[in-house]
Formats: sequence, structure tokens, C-alpha cells
Amino acid sequence: MPVWVDPEKCNGCYNSRQPPCVRMCPGDLIVKDYSVNKAYLKYPEDCWDCLPCIKACPEEAIEFHLSYQLGSKGAKLVPHVHKTRDFITWEAVDNSGNEERFKIRTKVLKIDLDEQIEDGAEGLDFSI
Amino acid sequence: MIERQIIHTDILIIGGGTAGCMAAVEAREKFPQYKVAILEKAHIDRSGCLAGGMNAINAYLNKGETPESFVRYVRSDSCGLIREDLVKSMSELFEYCVKKVESWGLPILCDDKGDYVPRGRWNIKINGESLKPILSRAARSSGAKVYNWLVVTNLLTDGNRVTGAVGFSLRNGKFYVVHAKAVLIATGGAAGLYRPNNTGDASHKTWYSPYNTGAGYAMGIRAGAEMTSYEMRYVAIRTKDAIAPTGTIALGAGAPQVNAKGDRFMVTRYKDIGGDGAPTPYRAHGPIQEIKEGRGPVYLDTRGIGADKVKDLKKAYLDMYPSQVLYWLANDIDPATEPVEIQTTEPYVVGGHCQAGYWVDEGRRTTLKGLYAAGDVAGGAPFKFVSGCWAEGVLAARTMGEDLSKIGEAAVSEEQIAREEARAFNAFKNHEKGMRGIPPVDMEARLQKIMEQYAGGASTYYEMNAEMLEIARKKLSSLPSETQDLVADDLHQLMKAHEIIDRVDVAQVLVEHMAYRKETRWPTYHTRTDFPERDDANWLKFVNSVRDPKSGTIKMMTRPYEQLVPGDRYKP
Repeated sequence: MPVWVDPEKCNGCYNSRQPPCVRMCPGDLIVKDYSVNKAYLKYPEDCWDCLPCIKACPEEAIEFHLSYQLGSKGAKLVPHVHKTRDFITWEAVDNSGNEERFKIRTKVLKIDLDEQIEDGAEGLDFSI
Repeated sequence: MIERQIIHTDILIIGGGTAGCMAAVEAREKFPQYKVAILEKAHIDRSGCLAGGMNAINAYLNKGETPESFVRYVRSDSCGLIREDLVKSMSELFEYCVKKVESWGLPILCDDKGDYVPRGRWNIKINGESLKPILSRAARSSGAKVYNWLVVTNLLTDGNRVTGAVGFSLRNGKFYVVHAKAVLIATGGAAGLYRPNNTGDASHKTWYSPYNTGAGYAMGIRAGAEMTSYEMRYVAIRTKDAIAPTGTIALGAGAPQVNAKGDRFMVTRYKDIGGDGAPTPYRAHGPIQEIKEGRGPVYLDTRGIGADKVKDLKKAYLDMYPSQVLYWLANDIDPATEPVEIQTTEPYVVGGHCQAGYWVDEGRRTTLKGLYAAGDVAGGAPFKFVSGCWAEGVLAARTMGEDLSKIGEAAVSEEQIAREEARAFNAFKNHEKGMRGIPPVDMEARLQKIMEQYAGGASTYYEMNAEMLEIARKKLSSLPSETQDLVADDLHQLMKAHEIIDRVDVAQVLVEHMAYRKETRWPTYHTRTDFPERDDANWLKFVNSVRDPKSGTIKMMTRPYEQLVPGDRYKP
């Protein structure tokens, strides 16, 4: 599974109907299970590995692993978005657990915890 | 009973991606009197090709370059056949668009004097992780109204005139009917026509956005718009398995392509057409021939590049395509001691790298009245990449604004809307009726099997002949009627059903185009083993098609090539 939401860390973005990871997935692949108040990748086979979900998660609850067919399981990449939002530090871990960090200048825009499905539209039903 | 949402707008933009966002801003700035609506399948902040970010703008006129020099380069890179008017007009707007996006907050690497730092002849470096949200926020703050998670299923038409579009919301399940005076298609190209490189939970680890499923092509095909050059498919050279861009290594670390024996085959075998700088189709064709003839695997030789360069490479990938770094970590690969294996992708239909798409005029008007096209869905102008898609969005917005004073809103019959509503929700209704129909994923497998094996897929080294294409044609012919039996148990699956319906329509047109052009102008993109040579005497022209909206028959035709920029068409 390329993208994995750690259920220990995910808080469902409180009472958000559509948390950032759900909204930012370009393939509509992540859903929130309201019964347990946590998000998960419902369609792993359709994941593009594009990672907006990971960078949008305010709890850093989403991990990026390679699909097992492409490499071993130990390695992972975790981006840490700086509070100033102008750098990402990538934590890169290899199969043996060795860690390297890369600080990259960028610009990460802030994402609200929830939003309505149409800009400015009111009274719409959010249920799926 | 499905609830309807009716929208009236002056300008409707279908697809809030690279071209669509720029078109919205330009339209609102130049023509503030007009209402603009954007229908977007995902969320506009992270949709389309730019969802993951970009680290370069690959079509820019660096110091000393001109629109004419750009046309000469793109023409030779596309083996002597492009719409020069379209390529020239977009290149004239590269600077306008790039400066604009920079002013919205895109970091672009500059030197001490404030000039952009070139990364290659036509490239500049950006820190583009947030390129898409930067664009989307500009589009939203321009006053355009954005409808997210809206899957557009068809255009509304009145004869030869496009009058709007219909679709459904992935979130509230309502049927949307949008009436518009001018409609811009900016939905991108088509992935998923052929079997991808990887399977299982990596099957969507593709070069092109797997969510670009040819919707805009298909809507135009169904409405009878003229299409061009589908046969110039795109096959990308990427890193093995991770499917990451190779330019980062080739340009960034100066690593040459070598075969298993260490031979720089592009230099030794393709010297007469430019070696490592050969036209892009040959740079995919070269490695494939090495593998086909038993000299693979093929690599980018990064050995000896040094630790600093490796760190730079990793940083470049983390900014644009992080899974390459993860791949190295998960496979214990150090590119300084081990060359990076490369491979080719499955073929795509995409007008931004090649030139498949709507046949448009310089103002990006399609052959249907009231319908315009920009970006990967528009034909005739390869080498667009990001900045060319922006430029086409600007051009289309300007044309729409000018044309609008002459166009009124057309009436749409209730009969057409009812028919479209039934079509949009058909797979859903099938499920409700308890039909044991066809899940979208099964039809996708069927389509990809046919295309892979008979229409020049990777397993036949992208080669095809008339007999193979005839089999593909025959096998595809049963699919359109079988789309009636697709089943979808929720709105997400309903979207998947429409994605496969669209890809079937695109695949049929693609096969007709590949069968019609009886030469090999773009090896690998379109390798005809029965016509293996380029044939300027007979085929220096565009292959176009129109599908009759009533009978469904695909009519093939040609359009002449016009040389506007003088010079040898095969020299950059």
C-alpha cells in the first residue's frame, strides 16, 4: 500500500466532513470513516504516489511506502512541513533504518480543515 | 428521483488544471463583465498533472531564443510535422504566463542579476511543489466560480453548436446542467488506454496522471468535433519501476544513456540524427531497440557523479517525484556506484507532449461553434508542457471573450437533458436494478488487453501493422454497446464507469488514426512494421477524423501542412 494513514495518529481532523487528505487526493481515493472518525486509503490500486494527501495532513499521520512489488518494506519517506511553510524537511529512511534529512525550499499553502463542496454555495448536503 | 442543479454562465471551463486555471484568470481580467464557471473532477487545489508539483518549466524562451527558433526546434523534434501557427502563438506567451505565475508566488531560480537560471535550452528551474494550489487560488480569487468533484459526462449540443455541459457531483450525487455561451475544454490527455508498467497497488504508478482519462477527447468525439494526430502517441522514457522523469538525471547530472555493455548507443547508432540530442521519439525508440535486440537493460550512467551530485539529485526528485528517492532507499541503490535503469512507459494520447487533440485555429476554436480547446486536449502543438498549456488557456480565453459579444445562449431541449441524465446515471441504475453487469475495472482490463496486444503496446515493442490494427478494431467494436451494462454501486464507481466509457471512445479513434497513416514518421510513438520509413511525398500532412454524432462512423481525412518558418524541417 503506497500511502498509509496511521490510525493511531489520525484524529479525523475532529468533526471535519472532508479532511484535507480526502479533499486533496486527485483520484478521490481517500475517504473518512465517520463511524471511527478516521481517514483511510480506500482504493490503493488507484494511487498515483503524488503525495498531496501527506503534505496536507496536519497531524503528519500519513506515511509513504513503496508498493512491495517495487522494493522492500523498511524504507519510508516522511515530509515535515516547516511552520513558516517555506521549507519541507524530508526524512528519508532506508531498509536498515538509517536516516538522512533533506531540507528543500518550497512554498506549501495552508489548507483549511474542512470546506464546502462549492465555493460560496450554501445548504448543500455533504453526505456521500 | 435525481435532483438537478441548473447553472447559467457565460464562459464554462471544463477541467480546472494547468490550462483551465490560467484561462479563468485571463477571462476574468480581460472580460470582467462575463461570468466564468470551472467544473473540476477533483479538488482544484490538487487536480490534474500538476497535483504532485513540478521542478522545472520546460518550454521557455531563454536569452537569445525567439518564437521562430522555438518553432524550428519543436518542428525537428516532432520529425518535421507540426502546426507552426499554433506552436509559434503559444511560445509568444511563455514569458507573459511565467511572469504572471511568478507574481502569484511561484519561486523561480534566478541569478545575481535577477534573470532566470536556464536548466537546458528551453528550461528554467522552479520550486514548484505548490504550483497547482498557487494556480487554483489565482483562479478562485479571479471571481471564477469553481465546482469541485463534478464529473462532466457530456457536452450539450444544438447541431454544430455547443451549448453547455452536463455531469454529476461525486459528493452530493446531483445532476448538473450547465448552460454556457462559450465552453472551453481543458481536461488533459488520456492515460489508461494501454496496460501500465506495474500491476496491483502500483498499477497507477504511471507517467501521466491516471486521472486524466480522455474525457475531453471523448466528449468532442461524441459531439462530432474534428480531431487530429492521435497516431502520434506519447511514450515516455522513465526510470525503471519508479517511473520518475529521467531529465532530472540526464540534464542535472549529465548522465548518458548506455546499454548493458556500456555502449553509448544513441551516439553510436543514431549519430546521423543527433545522437543524445536526437528527436524525442528516437530517444524512446533507441533504448527499446537495444532491449529488443538483446543488448538491455538500458541505463543512465550515473556512476562516479560524486556524493554532492547525488544529494542534488535526491533533492530535485523530492521536490517533484519523491518516489524515486524512496525507490533507491527501498532497493539499497546508490546512484554514484550503480547506474540508474530506465524503461519506456505504456503509450498515452496527449497533446502537450505530442499533438493528439482537437483541430483548432490560432484562437483555439474547435470545429464546433462555441467550443474551444486548450492544453493537453488541444492538438497540433507539441512541446507545450506547463507553460504552453498556460499560453493556450490565455489564447482561448481571449478568443472566447471576443466571440461572446456575437453569441447568445442557446436553448437546450428537455429531451436532450433527460437523455443525458439517463446516460450519466445508467451504471448506477443498473446496480439498483440488481443487474449482474460489468464492473468498470473489468472493462478497463479488456480494453487494455486489446490495445496492448494488437495496437502497438509495450509487449510488441510498440510495433503494429495493418493486420494487428484490424484485429484491434474488431475487438474494440463490441465495447461501446457493452458500456450499457456497466455497473456502479456508488458515485466513485460511477466516475470510473464514465472514465472507461470515455477511454473506449478515444481508443477507437486512436486505432483508426494509426491504421490510416501509412508511414513511420515517429518511431515507437507509431511504428508501422508494414510501412517502416518516413514518407514525406505522401504523408507530410495531418491525419484528422470526425465521428458522426448520429451514425457513430469515424470518417478519416487529411489536412495540409503549412511551413511558416523557413529552413530545413529536420534541423533544429
